[in-house]
Amino acid sequence: MLQVVYCNHQTAALSVREKLAFSSEKLQQAYAQLRHRFPGAEAVVLSTCNRVEIYTAQEATEAAPTHRELVEFFADFHQVPVAEFLEEFLERTGPDAVRHLFQVTSSLDSMVLGEPQIVSQVKTAYQTAQENDACGPLTHALFQGAIRVSSRVRTETHLAEGRVSIASVAVGEFGKSIFDRFDDKRVLIIGAGEMAEETLRYLQSEGVGEIVVVNRSAERAQALAAQFERARPEPLTELDRWLGAADVIVSTTGATPPLVDLDRFRAVRKKSGGRPVFILDLGAPRDFAPEIADIDDNVFLYDIDALNSTCDRNRKTRQKEIDQALKIIDDETDRFMQEIYHRATGPIVKRLREQWHEISRDEMTKLRTKLGHLNASDLESVERSVERIVNKLLHPPLEALRQEAKAGTPHGLVDALKRLFHIRDS
Amino acid sequence: MERVSVFCFLASYSLATLFEFARLRFRGGWTRALTLGWTIAGLVAHTVYLLSRSGRAELPPLLASSHDWFLVLAWIAVLLFLFLTLLDATIPLGMFVLPIVLTLVISSQFVSTAPLDFIKGDPSQVAARGWAMLHSSLLVIGMGGVLTGLILAVMYLVQHRRLKQRQTLEQGLSLPSLARLSSWNWWAVVLSFPTLTLGMAAGFMLGFAGRTPNVSTSMVLADPVVIGSGISWFVMVGFFGWLVATQRPAAKQVALLTLWACGFLVLTIFGLQVAASNSAIGSLHS
Repeated sequence: MLQVVYCNHQTAALSVREKLAFSSEKLQQAYAQLRHRFPGAEAVVLSTCNRVEIYTAQEATEAAPTHRELVEFFADFHQVPVAEFLEEFLERTGPDAVRHLFQVTSSLDSMVLGEPQIVSQVKTAYQTAQENDACGPLTHALFQGAIRVSSRVRTETHLAEGRVSIASVAVGEFGKSIFDRFDDKRVLIIGAGEMAEETLRYLQSEGVGEIVVVNRSAERAQALAAQFERARPEPLTELDRWLGAADVIVSTTGATPPLVDLDRFRAVRKKSGGRPVFILDLGAPRDFAPEIADIDDNVFLYDIDALNSTCDRNRKTRQKEIDQALKIIDDETDRFMQEIYHRATGPIVKRLREQWHEISRDEMTKLRTKLGHLNASDLESVERSVERIVNKLLHPPLEALRQEAKAGTPHGLVDALKRLFHIRDS
Repeated sequence: MERVSVFCFLASYSLATLFEFARLRFRGGWTRALTLGWTIAGLVAHTVYLLSRSGRAELPPLLASSHDWFLVLAWIAVLLFLFLTLLDATIPLGMFVLPIVLTLVISSQFVSTAPLDFIKGDPSQVAARGWAMLHSSLLVIGMGGVLTGLILAVMYLVQHRRLKQRQTLEQGLSLPSLARLSSWNWWAVVLSFPTLTLGMAAGFMLGFAGRTPNVSTSMVLADPVVIGSGISWFVMVGFFGWLVATQRPAAKQVALLTLWACGFLVLTIFGLQVAASNSAIGSLHS
């Protein structure tokens, strides 16, 4: 049984998502607890700024973790009462779970339609699950399939064209409404991950005057800054100085507790002279305390959820491409499910064939002994006739199995075949 | 030409305003096309009306009367609106400009339609007519600047509120950046103030040049319109001084002060004109 329990930017507010998010440091611990609670289940955790999802898979449906059990895992792990997020936590099973992952990986479920980061986030989640021995045959097939489908969607549609990064949407919608130009602006990037790199790339294309990268790991800050002109790394100890000197601040760390609280920023603000500052907090959990937005009239603070309505508006204008992508995803979901079902029925088909052909071979051996007067040509004809009879007898049950497999794993029919023909699990 | 009335272009501008606001609800170019269509129709009627009145009074439109003065101001605003809309159609400028145009056109109905006595009187008073022309022209330009400042301040506050509340604009609509609005607002105030000052000075000169046995200098200085305008001018002096003296003033504060100072000036000057024209106060401007 395949299933996913999740909350995302469409179902839950950032204030809820940030409580349930798994930082990379906590993931190992999360997998250990998942293994302990659900020993037979495969699991992959996908935690980004826009979503928190756990995919689980188990051969035996009755042994698979339930929605309630997974919700309780979240509540216990993050020490958050179930009532705070139960309603925002959805569940998909079987083909719906597969379709969901395909949509997520193809960025159809992303806030910014067509954004490329989600593919690498899914790849990283899959790789982390493998490193923690949480994957199995079903999740391997599911995630490899998802990456392949996302590539197909990007190749066959125009989803990945245009303004497809959170930074570009935020700067386009809000940054350019605050500032007229960026070539005389100083940008502070906090964090040195993929989101920071994506943001830097966009800001560089906007021609920003100066870029300062601050990160906990000085090496990573240096490596990131080295990729861009007019960018330089600065130590984290200098953060306050640069918070006061920057016109644009982009933060991507997702640290807990918030990196910049109200008192810290108020102190910085007093020294900076109160000029306009555009803060883009892309962290989940948020890096800037939300109250900072109200410090004065020239502080413009935006978190991920502030971009929701802009992204919804953009989505409406690209409905044709979305429909095209959804069609591809539906086709791929059907194909994937059939492969999975065939994979489930494959062993029984093989054993049934082997068993019947073995019987026919045994009978032919006996027949050869009894009918020694027959020449080789006659024996070959008899042998072929017996083989045809076996194949014809096998055809109806196998065809029934094939038809049933189109609608899902035919557990009932498989059990019936096992009992009728005494097929044992080898 | 004689059949063109204020109602013709008032109706056109009203429809244009209606369609401009409809852009907030309906997407597509048709609302914009209808706004522009009705505005152009209104402008044509407006121009014909002004020319017709000017021809009948044998005076330039600015001198014909307070009624014409209001209408000339509205005409300039419409012309600027059309020009700027052609430059950038995404800015819903009509939502800010057209209500002011409507207010000016409606206000023009409540002020005098007759030229001032000393302008329509002795044609030998060439100097008085020259001063009157200068007085009216500078005041129109100055008031245009003040109204521009007012519109920019409102746009700034709308944009600022949108950004603070993280709201998005409808598809196809945009507002200039806060930085640009703030800069334009500063220039509008800084340029309109000297123009208004010169306009008022020209008014005093007109008072002296146009003196007749019935109109003395003390009467000019005691005119309620002159006194009221003087008070609002002093308000502008204070605002102008603060604006020029303050280093990097907070842009929102500038917008709010522009709104108050310019709003006060506009209301005072227009209010006094209406009161004088309806004989509510005794004035040389009636």
